[in-house]
Amino acid sequence: MTLLTRKPGRVAVAPPAPLRGRRTGERAWALAFASPYLLHLVALTAWPVLASLYFSLTEYNLITSPRFVGLDNFARLFADEVFWRTLGNTAYFAVLFVPAQTILALLLAIALNQRLRAMALFRAAYFVPVVSSWVVVAYVADAVFNPQFGIANQVLGWLGLPAQDWLQDPALVIPTLAAVAVWKGVGYMMVLFLAGLQAIPEDRYEAAKIDGASAWNRFRYITLPGVSGTTFLVLVLTSITTLQSFEQVFVMTNGEPHGASEVTVLYLYRHGFQFFQMGYASAVAWVLFVLVLALTLVQFRLQRRWVHYA
Amino acid sequence: MRLRMLATAAVAVLTVAATASCGGGTGGEPGTVTLRLGFYAAAGDPADTTMRKLVKEFTAANPSIKVELEVAPYVQFFQKLRTQIAGGQAPQVWLSDGVLVQEFAARGALADLSERVKTLDAADYHGLELNRDAKGRIFGFPQGAQTPVLFYNKKMFAEAGVDEPTAEWTYDDLAAAAKKLTKDTNGDGKPETYGFRAYSPGFTESWWPIIKAFGGDIVTDENRKVVIDSPRSKAALDWMLAAMGKEKFAPDVVATESMGKGAVHQMFATGRVAMSYGIYARSLPALSAGVDFGVAPLPKGPAGRGNVAIVNSWVVSKAASPEQADAAWKWITFFSGDGPQRAWAELGEAIPINKQVAESALPAERRRAFLDSLAEADDLGTNAVWSEYTEALAKRINQALSGAMPVAQALTTAQQEAQQIIDRFQASGPR
Repeated sequence: MTLLTRKPGRVAVAPPAPLRGRRTGERAWALAFASPYLLHLVALTAWPVLASLYFSLTEYNLITSPRFVGLDNFARLFADEVFWRTLGNTAYFAVLFVPAQTILALLLAIALNQRLRAMALFRAAYFVPVVSSWVVVAYVADAVFNPQFGIANQVLGWLGLPAQDWLQDPALVIPTLAAVAVWKGVGYMMVLFLAGLQAIPEDRYEAAKIDGASAWNRFRYITLPGVSGTTFLVLVLTSITTLQSFEQVFVMTNGEPHGASEVTVLYLYRHGFQFFQMGYASAVAWVLFVLVLALTLVQFRLQRRWVHYA
Repeated sequence: MRLRMLATAAVAVLTVAATASCGGGTGGEPGTVTLRLGFYAAAGDPADTTMRKLVKEFTAANPSIKVELEVAPYVQFFQKLRTQIAGGQAPQVWLSDGVLVQEFAARGALADLSERVKTLDAADYHGLELNRDAKGRIFGFPQGAQTPVLFYNKKMFAEAGVDEPTAEWTYDDLAAAAKKLTKDTNGDGKPETYGFRAYSPGFTESWWPIIKAFGGDIVTDENRKVVIDSPRSKAALDWMLAAMGKEKFAPDVVATESMGKGAVHQMFATGRVAMSYGIYARSLPALSAGVDFGVAPLPKGPAGRGNVAIVNSWVVSKAASPEQADAAWKWITFFSGDGPQRAWAELGEAIPINKQVAESALPAERRRAFLDSLAEADDLGTNAVWSEYTEALAKRINQALSGAMPVAQALTTAQQEAQQIIDRFQASGPR
């Protein structure tokens, strides 16, 4: 992210005044106050990250000390069909989940951005799944999508449509997971959009109305640009969490049926913590990290074309 | 200057605080040894209660040994264990799932117990021979044994007027009886009760013994060579597919998985199926549900019964000090003795490994089927990469059993993928 602020054409922030003139006492105090955070950063973030980079170049079974193997783990990784399939599964999930959740969250936010009685109740209702644990959500999802006893198949039956196997159907498992994830996550993003909507000055809508702008045009030319900053935030956050998604799949399908819902982090977890291949798992983590970073950079680059900060 | 000192002091204090929490004291009174003992059990489970009681008896009899317990439910226990080993913080003795002993042993985490085992009479214990690795070494001492037999619901047999299973039953007899026991009471085309449970994600009670009974095999050559891709394995899986498909006397994969996690082990206890392969531990849910059931040996296939066994075992950490290792062995021999074995047998969770106790403590009507099956059992293809290669196999076989892939193709792919996993480990160096 700091890379981007250094791009030409952008106004750089003026460098702070040289510290030399200040009293050293201030620096000591600053260090004293910053030290808990610095220690935390070094001990619990920087050190493990660097260690995992080293492990990714080793064969490390957690029991005997790591043995340096160069880029072997990465060679194996890129040749491993299963790894590519997990990446494909993850991407498929993201492609369904990210737009669906973002659009739905915006629509809900607009619908709930009204002065109506009991509005707080509606907003809370959409927020309940957000604070529920995945284990609870998995039970709810099973009540809906269970091929034998679920409500979804009953509804299909009333409509005269054939019953589906949902989470047990290799073709439907990812769309079903994405639908459940939207249900669980949409409330949070809705709240972000609500905040964004409320930051749009009311007088813009009034002016547009006086000029005779239609409801669609007010949405298109005032609301959408008005929440573009929020939309960007929502997109970046959801993309990152999607690529790292683990808990939902771990709890709901554990990669079944036959690996059709095995996402990359689940694959990483299995190799690291079940199959004693921490070196290989670290390599997976680094590939995933590079992918997340690349995706985020692309999003930051594209944002200039469509994000307006009022 | 004072301020700089203050800052340095703050850093120092935090550093000390951070490192202190990593240390973990090992001190104690001279002459005493502290033994950290790990086992898996759900909190409040009868197994947990009995184990704690036995540990108390043990420390009362051995005042110089102080035991610290580390207990967690199965999945969490092994998750934590791996990181504990990595951090040099593993218990000195722990209860291992039988299929994981070689995984830990091959990576150098376990002490070789072969010499200590020689001080005992091996003929007194079940499962010792199954625990020998390819080089004849023993890394785990049996704690409790499990082997699948055929569970059957006596009431459902009587109601359908079907003769109960005998030791002479073949797979054809099983299929014929299962068809008669399958009932679609509401006439919607889907049976409410099935004659037999064929598929289970737990393959010890499903395709593994069936493939062996049909003359196929999974791994040979000291469990290093995968040989599952054979016409005989195909015949076994075809039999299972017919049971769930054409013949419809067993619930299919989707119906079984829809019951929910772990529910497959309850299908017999809840009367959804009249027959099921089950290990000894499956007696518990059936008993607590009040099912009137019997057990028979697995039916005979073209190549026998395909008996397999899992021997859950005590293992000793290689990192244990000599005093701790001695104390650990004392605990193991204590646990294998008459009194503790009887207390453990009362739980009804596993076949006691003390042969004398097994003969007298197992319920008479179920004793022979389990003990004879155990005597004939092979190990479950255990090796250093058991979890990984069996998962690869199961993935493909479940694809075949749910009709997502032709059986022949699934077996070929399964064999290739599993072999690759074993070869990769072999190639990473001699152990």
